[in-house]
Amino acid sequence: MSRLGIFVDRKTLSNAEQLTALIHCRDVAEAMGHNAEFLFPVDINKIPKMDALFIRARTDPKNITYVAARMAEFHGIPVIDDANSIQVCGDKINMYSHLIKKNVALPGTVFLQKTDLTVEKVTGLFDKLGAPLILKEPSTSFSQRVEKVSDIAEFFRVARRFSRMSDRIVVQQFVESKYDWRVGVLNGKLLYACKYTIPSVTFKIQASVNGHIVYCGVESMPESAVPPHVVQLGIDAARAIGTGLYGVDIKNNNGDACVIEVNDNPSLESGEDACYPQIYEQIIGHLFAAA
Amino acid sequence: MNDRWDASAEAGSLPGAQGSVLSGTAAAATGAFARPVVKKRVAAHGTHRKDHPLVRDSLAVIRQDRTCHVVAEDYSYKSEAYYTILSREQAGEAIRPSSRDVLDAFVVPVCLERAKRAGIPVADWGISQAYVPLPAILYGINYFATATDYAVVRDSDQSKDVIKHITNKGKYPFCYQKIDDSATISTCTAVFGKTTENCGEIAGYAEKLYSLFSIPLVNMVFVQNGDSRALSSLAPTRYTRLSPGERAFLAAYRDHQVFL
Repeated sequence: MSRLGIFVDRKTLSNAEQLTALIHCRDVAEAMGHNAEFLFPVDINKIPKMDALFIRARTDPKNITYVAARMAEFHGIPVIDDANSIQVCGDKINMYSHLIKKNVALPGTVFLQKTDLTVEKVTGLFDKLGAPLILKEPSTSFSQRVEKVSDIAEFFRVARRFSRMSDRIVVQQFVESKYDWRVGVLNGKLLYACKYTIPSVTFKIQASVNGHIVYCGVESMPESAVPPHVVQLGIDAARAIGTGLYGVDIKNNNGDACVIEVNDNPSLESGEDACYPQIYEQIIGHLFAAA
Repeated sequence: MNDRWDASAEAGSLPGAQGSVLSGTAAAATGAFARPVVKKRVAAHGTHRKDHPLVRDSLAVIRQDRTCHVVAEDYSYKSEAYYTILSREQAGEAIRPSSRDVLDAFVVPVCLERAKRAGIPVADWGISQAYVPLPAILYGINYFATATDYAVVRDSDQSKDVIKHITNKGKYPFCYQKIDDSATISTCTAVFGKTTENCGEIAGYAEKLYSLFSIPLVNMVFVQNGDSRALSSLAPTRYTRLSPGERAFLAAYRDHQVFL
């Protein structure tokens, strides 16, 4: 009987939806004939005893999930998310560079160094990309450190703050939409699709508004209801990163689709899988097929 | 063969730098990964390649045969050195260290696991959220942590304070290494896998660690228990902390007086 390690942390389990999804994942693994157990950071030395590892905690190349992924790789254990996916998706400069290299459609995108923060260059950016602009600190997740700026003064205020956290920042053309497509891809194939409806009070899928966290609406969509070019763009974007599990965010205005970002460790606990009840079977099957 | 020693970073190497506007399709088509090198700081200081002052935060790219070596004080995630390495990797160039090497080297448990697999003695380590056996060396493992900041804790009051700090009040796990009461910590700087100071037997590991991680400038931290030594971590080092001998050694590499 094979052993599946599900790597979690305190924060993962503090959310009722995530906890329910993780228990569902464990039940599916057991129904498939595997043993499944939750591994916490303190259990990291148990990873070599597993046959596969599924990381379900916020990933970052400097946190414990990277250690878990590398430990699995050192011992030849299949892992989602692999260290390369954590490294690439954790840094938007790296992630967009991969997409650009593979000619994946993006909004107009510029990377700025600290020395580029001059009035002349910033004025040029507004001239070329229009207003407003989106600024992103590269290691943003859950829409944190993503801000919309409408003028030069605002640009500098945000850019200087982000520059304290990274030597380069991302500037992007603003693409307005009422919802984002989220295309889930596993090993280069469609796994699921859903719509993330942007709250009317913000332009992000998650934001703090007047001290309250506002979340996007989630609507699982069958493949037949998703424009084929959106599905294909999602697959192309995921393949530009690797062969793991990714959630690709896409805006599709007037049929002109572009990728907003590729996420490793995509959310699966908010109803994304309503039209795709086999998600966990496919993920677990993929992991053990590689074992 | 071609070498270069620029105080400025590889400005503009990644697509989109220098304020150019790129879309996904245009970037690859216009060869945006290979932009000319900016030499602003060299010009501003009027320095000559052979008397480069090792300015703070500066980095150098030394080309030897078909491989580029990035020399910097700080290879940390999202630093200019890190992005210089990434851009060259994306362009398909042979570059050392790799972005994976620098991430691995400065995340302590990963560094130790790789070193152990290469036959280098390493300190026993574990991960904890709160409890730690004493005495021990502690390292944070989170977005804000660096391998440079470690703490040796010998009593429970001290350990509580340190753990509270490195875990951001229990938010993150940390790495601990149990040590003996009589253990001592020693450090030594390696320049391209060589040491110039009196580093004793630690010096013998510098070359192995360079083979493993290819980091030109690194501070090695070892735990010594009696006659045995074990690697505790690798950490970046500042140019200002280099001895005259180490600076001369670095200059020799720059000018190819020492074969890489």
